[in-house]
Amino acid sequence: MRKLFFYVPLVLFLALTVFLLSGLFSDPRERESASLNKALPEFALADLMQPQQIWTPQQLHGETFLLNVWGTWCPTCNAELGYLTELRKQGIKIVGLYYELPRDPAFDAPFNLKVLQQDVAQKLQQNGDPYQFNILDLERRLSLDLGVSGAPETFLIDSNGIVRAHHIGDINPQIWRAKLAPLYQQWSQP
Amino acid sequence: MIVEAGQLALTFAFALSLLLAIIPLYGSFVANQRMLLLAKPLALGQFLFCLLAMLALIYAFRTNDFTVVNVAQNSSSTLPWYYQITASFGSHEGSMLLWVLMLAGWTALVAQFSKALPLLLLGRILGILGVICVGFIAFSLFMSNPFERSLPFFPVEGRDLNPLLQDFGMIMHPPTLYMGYVGFAVAFAFAIAALMGGRFDSVWARWVRPWALAAWLFLTLGIMLGSWWAYNELGWGGWWFWDPVENASFMPWLAGTALIHSLAVTEKRGTFKSWTVLLALAAFALSLVGAFLVRSGVLVSVHSFATDPGRGMYLLVFLLLMVGGSLLLYGMRMNSVRSQARYQLFSREMMLWGNNIFLLTACLIVFLGTLFPLFHKELGLGSISIGEPFFNQMFYYLTIPFALMLGLGPWVRWKQQQFTPLVKPLGLVFVAALILALGVLASMQSVQANLALLGMLLGAWVGVSALAEVMLRMRQFGSVTQGLTKLNASHYGMTLAHIGFAVLVIGVAMTKTYTEERDVRMQEGDTATLAGYQFTLVDVYDLDGANYGGQAAELDVRKDGRYVTHLHAEKRFYRIQRTIMTEAAVHARLSRDLYVSLGEELPGNAWALRIQVKPFVRWIWLGGLLMSLGALLALADKRYRRKMPPATKQEVANA
Repeated sequence: MRKLFFYVPLVLFLALTVFLLSGLFSDPRERESASLNKALPEFALADLMQPQQIWTPQQLHGETFLLNVWGTWCPTCNAELGYLTELRKQGIKIVGLYYELPRDPAFDAPFNLKVLQQDVAQKLQQNGDPYQFNILDLERRLSLDLGVSGAPETFLIDSNGIVRAHHIGDINPQIWRAKLAPLYQQWSQP
Repeated sequence: MIVEAGQLALTFAFALSLLLAIIPLYGSFVANQRMLLLAKPLALGQFLFCLLAMLALIYAFRTNDFTVVNVAQNSSSTLPWYYQITASFGSHEGSMLLWVLMLAGWTALVAQFSKALPLLLLGRILGILGVICVGFIAFSLFMSNPFERSLPFFPVEGRDLNPLLQDFGMIMHPPTLYMGYVGFAVAFAFAIAALMGGRFDSVWARWVRPWALAAWLFLTLGIMLGSWWAYNELGWGGWWFWDPVENASFMPWLAGTALIHSLAVTEKRGTFKSWTVLLALAAFALSLVGAFLVRSGVLVSVHSFATDPGRGMYLLVFLLLMVGGSLLLYGMRMNSVRSQARYQLFSREMMLWGNNIFLLTACLIVFLGTLFPLFHKELGLGSISIGEPFFNQMFYYLTIPFALMLGLGPWVRWKQQQFTPLVKPLGLVFVAALILALGVLASMQSVQANLALLGMLLGAWVGVSALAEVMLRMRQFGSVTQGLTKLNASHYGMTLAHIGFAVLVIGVAMTKTYTEERDVRMQEGDTATLAGYQFTLVDVYDLDGANYGGQAAELDVRKDGRYVTHLHAEKRFYRIQRTIMTEAAVHARLSRDLYVSLGEELPGNAWALRIQVKPFVRWIWLGGLLMSLGALLALADKRYRRKMPPATKQEVANA
């Protein structure tokens, strides 16, 4: 008995390496989204371009769409605008959730909407505009509720307003074909 | 040209490490003295070539050689010269070379300063260090070469060093931290060599102790500097974040702390051998696990270097061979080791055993807290994250019994201690600690019970007890002046380190309780009041640094109308990396820090500012510093430099 006792550290260590090994080959960025298969959280947020228009989840019901979290400050987001625009041409509805990074809500700084609108309009003109409209999430509440960890991220929302997929990272032809298109097909069936 | 020379030097170092890993170890088994004698020159040569490689890399950074990928990605021609040097270890590749250099450095130090060691043992120790060197030099050379060129296409300007790393703390933090991490390789090699020979006694423990202490000294200092750097550079006034990478450095520290205490028992009483050896293995094993976690991308952290499964795989295999191999050897050899010493329940042995239990529990908590998200995910249970509250709560509960015991420990004799003689002095210590704690709290603006009182009380208990114990020991030698010279340096070292711990506990508890914070909107001339201090925004002016621009706010601070200081809080914009960095303005005093960080510009010529008053925050780093000084003092103990009596020498040579 006493003899085996001294092998305990080795056994524990070997168990650890199994985990480390499997951890090595799984993508640390891929994780289950807490919002998956749940209804969109409640919100009432202004449109980025027409601030008098207020969007709520109920207004979004009825059609399957992609909710794309982005910002002009994010190079990857700008890069995916082109492909998203192509998707829009194929008839896929994409709604932007604008995530304003340079402004830290904790500091409670006011910000200049006009400048942001110009900035966004310019970016969309350069790279293509995939969005039906953009929701401005200035306080980041909706992003927080959805479990957004960065940008770009894309949610697939079905016609009943249920979150069906959460993709972290950019959308490119491979990702679309392999991961999101099948889900889109599945959930846009009437 | 110089860069190629650096590459060549690293290749030579690799060749020498291969020889060092093979020849002396082989020689130790065939009892070939000439092979054993080769260990020292090989170790020294290996260090020399690693040093040349590092110098070549620094040269490439200083001459803005952007054909080197590493330089182009981590430096720029506008970077100040001292940051160009530190940029050489700011990246994964460069820091790996620094790691290798430190490892070779420790190996050379062991080779140079171990005249008292029997040749056979020294040969084995250097050989094992050689094996570790082979692993890391090969990793640097083949998996993350810092000298890689991007010819024929190379940028005309570099991407600049990450602005977070452009700070004095960053110049000091990685080298000291790595010295600590890698330093435990020496204790590891001593333990393996002893496992090979199959004998551990107090002589062996006395040889390991200074090396373990030195590594612990650097690790303590490195962690402290890292915390200080985060406080100054991250701009929100925090000093510890329980980030996976911080935890990766904290785990070997906890194991190392347990090791230096366990070594004391093994040296003085010849017992706790299996503990001590396991801790010596664990301290370095945890350093290796830490290196793996940081560099493989298994855990996502703000500190982690670019992720690469190839590198991760290499490190994992290396980890498996080194740690798995050593633990297998441990299992095979340790059961034949017997300890004869007897001791009672209330004895110093038991106190130190308790110390080890607490420290290892703490280590386990950090380990589980850091890796639990990984376990959870790999078991298919989904992603979770473990945050600060878990660690804070766990350490809160651990610190209380640990500190109580720490106040008691040094008073207790080896083998057996009667309870009654301790009642009176410890009672007095407790009363003194209570008065001190209440006195300090009464001087604060508001008396808050709970954490502050508990922290002050525990801190004062440990501190007063450590001081009283050393005074009492002096008195036993007759007069205080006589006692002053009679007590050995390691006793003073212990006392100082324990006081350091007390200071740290007080700092943490007081900062946590009494920190006040306000986010304010200020125009020039506005005054904000916080904790009795009036902060007036005098001016906001433009900055023009070598590689950054931005704004700085000048604040005039007064207390009750009397001038205290001028603060300059900066918001820097680094031009090449296009990043904004908050450079907080700190006015530091022993009793409190004034901490101001500059936020954004608001409409109407106003600025957002975050003002904090943090009482006793200095004590956190002061505590770390005292602990390191304690280790330094203990290292100065004469007995580590005494020649071995011939009989013992023979004894170990036979081992």
